[in-house]
Amino acid sequence: MEGPRSIGQSAGHVEGPAKVTGRARYSADITLPGMLWGRALRSSFPHARIVSIDLSAARRVPGVHAVISGADLPEVRIGRFLRDIPVLARDRVRFIGEKVVAVAAETPDAADEALSLVDVEYEELPAVFDPIEAMAPDAPLIHEHPERYEHPPIPPIGGESRYHPFANVCSQSIYRRGDLAQGMATAERIFEHTFVVPPVHQGYIEPHACAAAIGPDGKIDIWISNKTPFIARRQLAAAFGVPEERVRVNPTSIGGDFGGKGSLMDSALCYFLARASRRPVRMVMNYTEELTAGNPRHSGVISLRTGVTRDGTIIAHQAKLIFNCGAYGAFIPLHFLHGSVHSAAGPYRIPHIEIESLRVYTNTVPRGHFRSPGAPQTTFAVESHMDMIAGELGMDPLEFRLRNVLVEGDESAMGERFHHIRCGETLTAAADAAKWNSPKPPNVGRGIGIYERAPGAFGTSGATLSLDRDGKLILITGAADTGTGSFTVLAQVVAEELQAPLADVIVCQGDTDTAEWEEGAGGSRLTHMAGRATLIAASEMKRALIELAARHFNCTSEQVQMRARRFIASDGRELDWKSLVAWAAEHEALPLTRSGSYVAAGHPDVTCYVAQVAEVEVDRETGQVRVRRMVSAHDVGTVINPLTHQGQIEGGLVQGLGQAMSEHLLLRDGAVTTAHLGDYKLPTAMDIPELTTVLVESQTGPGPFAGKSIGELSNVPPPAAIANAVFDAVGVRLTDLPITAEKIYTALRAMEKRN
Amino acid sequence: MNAFTYIEPATIEEALATLVRHGEEAKLIAGGTGLVNLMKQRLVNPGCVVSLRRLAGLADVNLDDGKNLLIGALCTHRTLESSPIVREHAPLLAEAARRVATIRIRTMATLGGAVVHADPNQDLPPALIALDARVKLRSPKGEREVPIDQFFTGYYETVTQPDEIVTGIAIPPSARTTGSAYLKFLPQTADDYATVSVAARVALNNGTIADARVALGAAASTPLHARVVEDALRGQAPTRKTLEQAAALVGAIVDPIADFRGSVPYKRDMAIVFVRRALGDAIAAAGGAVI
Amino acid sequence: MKNIQVRVNGHPVAREIPDHRLLVDFLRYDLGLTGTKEGCSVGVCGACTVLLNGQPVSSCLALAVMADGGEVTTIEGLAEGDRLHPLQQAFIDYGGFQCGVCTPGQIMASKALLDANPHPTPAQIKEWMMGNLCRCTGYYKIIEAIQAAAAEKTEP
Repeated sequence: MEGPRSIGQSAGHVEGPAKVTGRARYSADITLPGMLWGRALRSSFPHARIVSIDLSAARRVPGVHAVISGADLPEVRIGRFLRDIPVLARDRVRFIGEKVVAVAAETPDAADEALSLVDVEYEELPAVFDPIEAMAPDAPLIHEHPERYEHPPIPPIGGESRYHPFANVCSQSIYRRGDLAQGMATAERIFEHTFVVPPVHQGYIEPHACAAAIGPDGKIDIWISNKTPFIARRQLAAAFGVPEERVRVNPTSIGGDFGGKGSLMDSALCYFLARASRRPVRMVMNYTEELTAGNPRHSGVISLRTGVTRDGTIIAHQAKLIFNCGAYGAFIPLHFLHGSVHSAAGPYRIPHIEIESLRVYTNTVPRGHFRSPGAPQTTFAVESHMDMIAGELGMDPLEFRLRNVLVEGDESAMGERFHHIRCGETLTAAADAAKWNSPKPPNVGRGIGIYERAPGAFGTSGATLSLDRDGKLILITGAADTGTGSFTVLAQVVAEELQAPLADVIVCQGDTDTAEWEEGAGGSRLTHMAGRATLIAASEMKRALIELAARHFNCTSEQVQMRARRFIASDGRELDWKSLVAWAAEHEALPLTRSGSYVAAGHPDVTCYVAQVAEVEVDRETGQVRVRRMVSAHDVGTVINPLTHQGQIEGGLVQGLGQAMSEHLLLRDGAVTTAHLGDYKLPTAMDIPELTTVLVESQTGPGPFAGKSIGELSNVPPPAAIANAVFDAVGVRLTDLPITAEKIYTALRAMEKRN
Repeated sequence: MNAFTYIEPATIEEALATLVRHGEEAKLIAGGTGLVNLMKQRLVNPGCVVSLRRLAGLADVNLDDGKNLLIGALCTHRTLESSPIVREHAPLLAEAARRVATIRIRTMATLGGAVVHADPNQDLPPALIALDARVKLRSPKGEREVPIDQFFTGYYETVTQPDEIVTGIAIPPSARTTGSAYLKFLPQTADDYATVSVAARVALNNGTIADARVALGAAASTPLHARVVEDALRGQAPTRKTLEQAAALVGAIVDPIADFRGSVPYKRDMAIVFVRRALGDAIAAAGGAVI
Repeated sequence: MKNIQVRVNGHPVAREIPDHRLLVDFLRYDLGLTGTKEGCSVGVCGACTVLLNGQPVSSCLALAVMADGGEVTTIEGLAEGDRLHPLQQAFIDYGGFQCGVCTPGQIMASKALLDANPHPTPAQIKEWMMGNLCRCTGYYKIIEAIQAAAAEKTEP
């Protein structure tokens, strides 16, 4: 026996006791002596020049300590990659909700009263809300000098990319493979379809919140609902014009991220308020501010054109993806929506491809990242398109896909050479679990959606592990806790390597002073990258313990083994864990600390597939769709924690269900009209379908103990799977989301009229 | 929310006197779920909020000698949905109450508050109309009763005067072979206002429809009493054709507001579908069968 | 301003507060009980659920003055020292939370459920809990956790 096994064991979150007792601290829970409330005045115009701002009356409100506008701040722009958004608007506002003035006051009421007395004179400018209109040469120009915006070098991914190529285009990426024209010329049939996807919001239950405090030594303490604290520190320090070590980002729990909590949001402004008022300041967005001025998902229009042979082999594929990125491009950490280009040709074998992906400025709320950014929109289009092609060819959608999905030895659409390709196997597993070929009652249909995404391998992760005098293992991670269970998974990695009970591993989120650099959560990288860093630290710890045991035995390290938590010398002498710890403590060797840092050597050579089958029933009289059942089949590596792994699948799927069925951030003349959660419909406990999960397991992942990733998969296929199922049920094909009863009703009545 | 003075009168006379004293500056609060939301959005900014919380005798559920069901205005939705007396004598009201919002709203929001709020999307008013309820009001001048379908005058408007407090409702007894149904069409998520809702109550007599009540929510600027449907059902056998024809008549009288829950044509078509379905369910509940 | 007296988690509390103070703000900022969270602010998401006189309410829609003379139970009042309430333990064991921000509200609402109905069916659980939104879990494990806690309560 090797001692207690942790990998593969279900375990509740290690931070569970704090969360179920209300002790876990989120950014809005931070209270400091003398703390003030910060609130922002936001533009009510979608596009306007700021003519003048009069703060005098606001400053006189009792309890107000500071009122600032853009003119009071350094001329700095911030952003996750492209730095195009000012901390407070300067000469212009570019969307309804853009922050113009901020106040720090002793109570929220005093702050609101002060803001109500701010006098801003605007000169309205022509505005544009639709990305296709915004690309026209005569469209109002939203950014007059975008070439001045700074950004890191554009990485060589996603094809050829440029910022600000023309008109209001923020970025353009063109990916080519083979020869599209030639491929289309040899196709026997060509199909063309266009899809429209509205904006949706991440819907995390915790709105953005932050706090800032400046110490007498000039140290800037920040608390922020941001899942990449080290990157936030770097960006904040640049915005403040101070060295990075002057800024400390402190740990808080994050109440849901899903990609939407990677920007600085209000935190830079919070600091400037703290500086102006000489007090700590907290800023808590209310949910209306989240829905109207957060960073929701990119909406867009996706046009696909595919050439196939008569027997259903895909030869050529062209995709044009036009995304509305809102007024600023600052809220994504790359130049383009990676998931859009990456999934535009699906997990299919296609020799000739051209993908153009555009993010276009409009005078609407800036868009950000949301779980598999770009992929849910694009996969809705691609997987619907595949079903439509199969239908035209008279082929079963399952058979059509199995004919064209990648198999071992194939290169992906993006030119990746993955090993252990299990796309077909995963799809077949889903179809079998869904009883794909079994008879269906009237008005019941089944539909498929598939998607591929590899574990993230970017950035640097670090970990520090200490063994204390009680024999407890303290893991310090710089990763933020967004709820995915990452702390628990990291603890399990330590427990496994050091043959320890999980209860003996204590995970602490360090601040940016005390933890090793950690790139943070995002892109499904944490289990892989932070896990590897943690495994390195744990392995180093193991080596150090063996060395200590060797010292104790007075032999060499090579002569000592660690088995089942015991240290065994080659001559048979044994020392148990407790005794070694005690000996080490006596000999001043504790606490013993080892660190690990990990950068991936390259991209992973394995990826993850998800295949879903939706089964729906349509009420023909009303058009209402009931999703009876979903099957979600996953090609997975070693599952480190089945409980948290399954939790990610379930939560992601219901998010995908929301995007499919009920979520629609409605915009009218640039204003978000679904401005609270009574109007923006998140799925409830009564809306969930019966769910069957199938895991196609292997031990092939790049993560520790061959783990893969799971976080950004199950939320992607539901819109397509459900749309395809609706078509199967009643013959209505919806090419825009959400799938509503009224749309289906209208289509059914039109079909009846035609017949 | 703007600041206000909170007053908790101990008796209804005190409450009325407070209303008179503060005039337009005063707003009544019971459960508060409606008013507090409006105040937080600064749509309503009273200088004085008068709570009915401490008033005694306004949260009772009783049957009088004539078997009229008397329900105090301060009864919560939770009481309405779970009270054995309401469930036995006005199951339609209990069912409509059960469909309101979430459990947290139902523990606080009161019958009286729901009735004066007069949002046409609400669930209770159509059920009250279908139950022939009468609203009891009290002012310094005395008491009066208003039949429920004369109570709502417009979008968020009722006949309640500024110096009046709704004290309760009275529901007359139903005939023995009566069945009722409340259908709330929720095509988006389970927590929402209805795209359309229908409260139906049918009394059967020897296999024919002796009488019917049909009322709709989310179908106009006030809850809608569909008399034309009732007239088409009275004395008829409960056949599928009768129900279809009667339900179709509602299409001409609805005047719904288009919103993200449905366009006007869709809400109109759904009103017809759900009137028919609610009638079918009510007939089945009365022990009848639709032939 | 009003002087109110409330029993909060079993302890008598007396404070002077503005008339328009919301219960959620009274708990979080006047009393420092930040376990109760504010999500949507319009009474929809349930993150702010507390028990007022034993009933689940949206503390973001309740005036603190309305709790005068009454009892409020928040998430901080459930555990007895180190001993977690069966619901709290079940939420950990069954994965009934991920990010945890909706969790205090979920647990308070489920406590109210089990107080009213000690053996709810899954359908009854869903109907009662429909008003507590969760964006992380998809609800499946919340329902399992509540069922498990309910089952434990029947064990001798």
